[in-house]
Amino acid sequence: MNINKSNPLLLHPLNKWMKKKKWSWFPHQIETFHYVRTGSDVVVFAPTGAGKTLTGFINPIDDLIKLKKFKGLHTLYISPLKSLANDIVRNLEKPIKELDLNISFQVRTGDTTPYKKQKQKQKPPNILITTPESLALLNSYENAKEFFHNLKYIIIDEIHTFLDNKRADLLSLNIERLQTFSPNLQRIGLSATLKNKQDAKKWLCRKKPKIVSYENSVLPKIKILESKERIPWSGHMATYSINEIYKEIMKSKLTIIFVNTRAQAEYMFKNLWLINKKKLKIAVHHGSLEKNLRLKVENNLSKGLVDCVVATSSLELGLDYGDVEKIIQVGAPKGINRLLQRVGRSNHNLNTPSKAILVPTNRFEFIEAKAAIEEIKKNNLDKIDLKEGSFDVVAQHIFATACVGQFDINDLYKEIIKAYPYKKLKLNDFKQLINLIQDGGYVLKNYDQFKRIFQLRENKNIYKLVNRRETRKYRMNVGTIIENPMLKIKLGTKTLGNIEEVFIQNLSQGDSFIFAGQVLEFQSMKNNLVQVKRSKSLISKIPSYSGGRMPLSTNLANSVRALLAKNNLWDSYPNQITEWLKRQKNISKIPKKDEYLVEQFPRKKNFYTVIYTFAGWHANQTLGFLLLRGFKEFNYKPLGFVANDYAIVLWSLKEVKEIKTILNLGLLDKHLDNYLEETSIVKRLFRDNAIISCLIERRLPGMEKTGKQVLFSSDLIYTVLKKNEPDHILLKSSYEDAKKNMIDYERLREILKKIDKKIILKKLTSISPLAVPIILEINRENLSKKETDEYILEDLENEILKEANVLSIN
Amino acid sequence: MYYQLINFGNEEFHAYPNKSLYWKRLNTLIVSDLHIGKSISYAKNKQFLPPYDTNEILNKIFVSLDKIKPSNLIIVGDLLHDVFSTLSLKDQDYKNLSQYMKNTDFVWIKGNHDKNIQIEGFKNFTNYKIGKFLFTHIPIKTSLFQICGHYHPKVKIVHRGKTIFKTSFVHNEKIFILPSFGIFTGGLDINSKEISDVLGKKNLKIYPVGQDKVYKL
Repeated sequence: MNINKSNPLLLHPLNKWMKKKKWSWFPHQIETFHYVRTGSDVVVFAPTGAGKTLTGFINPIDDLIKLKKFKGLHTLYISPLKSLANDIVRNLEKPIKELDLNISFQVRTGDTTPYKKQKQKQKPPNILITTPESLALLNSYENAKEFFHNLKYIIIDEIHTFLDNKRADLLSLNIERLQTFSPNLQRIGLSATLKNKQDAKKWLCRKKPKIVSYENSVLPKIKILESKERIPWSGHMATYSINEIYKEIMKSKLTIIFVNTRAQAEYMFKNLWLINKKKLKIAVHHGSLEKNLRLKVENNLSKGLVDCVVATSSLELGLDYGDVEKIIQVGAPKGINRLLQRVGRSNHNLNTPSKAILVPTNRFEFIEAKAAIEEIKKNNLDKIDLKEGSFDVVAQHIFATACVGQFDINDLYKEIIKAYPYKKLKLNDFKQLINLIQDGGYVLKNYDQFKRIFQLRENKNIYKLVNRRETRKYRMNVGTIIENPMLKIKLGTKTLGNIEEVFIQNLSQGDSFIFAGQVLEFQSMKNNLVQVKRSKSLISKIPSYSGGRMPLSTNLANSVRALLAKNNLWDSYPNQITEWLKRQKNISKIPKKDEYLVEQFPRKKNFYTVIYTFAGWHANQTLGFLLLRGFKEFNYKPLGFVANDYAIVLWSLKEVKEIKTILNLGLLDKHLDNYLEETSIVKRLFRDNAIISCLIERRLPGMEKTGKQVLFSSDLIYTVLKKNEPDHILLKSSYEDAKKNMIDYERLREILKKIDKKIILKKLTSISPLAVPIILEINRENLSKKETDEYILEDLENEILKEANVLSIN
Repeated sequence: MYYQLINFGNEEFHAYPNKSLYWKRLNTLIVSDLHIGKSISYAKNKQFLPPYDTNEILNKIFVSLDKIKPSNLIIVGDLLHDVFSTLSLKDQDYKNLSQYMKNTDFVWIKGNHDKNIQIEGFKNFTNYKIGKFLFTHIPIKTSLFQICGHYHPKVKIVHRGKTIFKTSFVHNEKIFILPSFGIFTGGLDINSKEISDVLGKKNLKIYPVGQDKVYKL
């Protein structure tokens, strides 16, 4: 289409407002307007600052003005975050108010009051801005069909954040439901730039699918911190560079420091505070902080009232902080898309480049940072893998459907398989999920008289809820995000945020820890509230949060491998890095791009095998476990292993002679089941599955049972089920989840398929320079939870016995 | 099976990792809080736990009876979870039970969960006295040594920076509390007010139950 000929947007109701602001329409806005107007479902790819949000609303506003006083819901806007939803409302408000357009719009999230929600149900606005979970809830109400039957558009914001997780599954099912209610519905997706745009299109679009793309021609300026200090071999805290980071903050008006974990955020904040001689205003922001603390930081940020914010991915999305001048990324970038998203937080202006500084916390991260910068120059983005739909989300959706009223299972099945993640859902699996919702779906029929849904006698395809009271249970359980058991932290009467129960259990009264940038002393725990007071202690722990460990993306990993092999570039690196690599080359070898280096050497009476896979932590962790088994079979007496993003190290009593025989695809096929069995991976996923599928109830804060007890009982359920009914649909579902998500199964498979021909084996007399970082990481126990428990009991008992003996001798 | 020797009231007891207690001198096996049919009770509220708990619990008991061949089996309360629990007992279960009753005398002490329920062939008691020992679900005021259940004790262990919770046998000088023999039964911290009110906080003997062993702290 020739967009230069005529710009139909010049006649758009918003054109006046655009002119007043002295803004002009972007080409992608014109293009989107055209495609949507001619009946296409569209995904728009554009960087931040390119008017993405407005792009979504162009057609709805045009329609609404033309329709004049349209009554009821016309457009639904789905945002991944509650906070973003509020921000969208503020942005939409400006043109609509200034032009005095007769369009109503409201937000509906978990934070909306029941009163307001009720009013919305009776008198819906033209435009409703909401989240996937709130949409699922709306779709479970008895009047859902009337509520949505005139819906014209659904806009999915930041669609790239939805594609590879269970929220995507939930959303996809609910979009198909809306389509059933309102067959004329059109879909508009808004996304950051992606490598596999076609996949996003496949996921969302049905009618004359179209992609609209706008690439930013101004590349961000990213460099690596030039440190005079020694970059450590290992570790993740960047303590070495703290003074230099502080200097960088002083140089800019407003800086965001991104780190990879909440623990790093607290640690970085504490260390900056210790050297804050200029009294800069520094704040900390992460997902566990109480909402109003987070909002305060966000507010100060947008008003430019702070000098620096230390943040995790919590500040990655949305919100326009115009004054941010510089981004500092501390720690490995892990992926190109992620780094770009973070870098894009500075200078929300398309014509000036974003500025960012990367601070590697160890030597491998230096190479990773370098590689990431190269890939960004080439615009080589990561691929987002669409996931196949999970069973537990279907179960939840069946429950939701039953809450609306009686339903025909054949109609429901046909609707579900229209959703992209469920194209391959088998009828038989679907029926088992119906049974799961009906009475748990067990072979042993003990619950006939207690069913939740039942078949009508006159038509066996039609199911109905036994009791309307069940709808309440569905509403308590909606959603796919399952958090670890958390406790609220109270300083006096003020809530500071949430902390993992496991962390608190390990504290004794009087212990101090850092949270929300303060040193706190643990006083007591009552009714799931952790009471603390301020402390001046210099020794304090930092809470860690499990999960959320981002593995190195395959794309970036390949780039790291390629870069490592380019020895003509080494001289441009800091001396210590160059020396490190040169020594590696002399003593052992630098692997080529497609080679897998394996080093073996004796050390302290043990025999070490290091394998450089660059496969990411998840895959390496799995491979380490599999190799442990393989080594056992060959009687090498393995003692343990440690994995990181780049490599695996195993140590054994005997020399490993047949590594090439062991390290291949057979290893995966032979031992994977054992791996899933012996580690608690499937068990943990079973808990999520049991909650998402509503088999067990989600415990919300304030309810009598704590999350810990849910974990405890879901473990029991898992064990009993596994023993008595190993083919149960939820076990199958958990196992599939594990294979797909937790262990990077496909990635490992791809590597093992070709690894045996590409192994470069180096027998060394001692440790190589490349191996030092991972050897330094050996300090954890490599025991399963079951073994750990026994070990703790055994050890404690022995200590007590010794003590008792000493006492009796005295 | 490994057992932990426990001295209580000048008698020797064996604590087994399957959470049963054996009084060798009188050839008496003691269990508590089986909560048979808890899954059915949950199913009433549409929480569909795997309906295999009853089977598992009975098998566990039968294995013990086969191995030890006690003359008496004392259940110190909450054999059943509630009135619906008998729904989970099949004909075969009743047959098996009466078979075992031929060689072992079953003493069913009623707990708060099953006080109004009857099963044919079972002798019911509110408590049961043997010499200076009283078997009762919830401890009462008495000068006798008491062996009870009800509380499902578990102990919190913090050791070398790790915290674990373990189901435990626990007693003070006069009162002994058994862990729950059931499958879907949770636990109560020994330091909780409920248990402290009964046992106090001092001079407790605690025996956490491990995988194949009962430990002694």
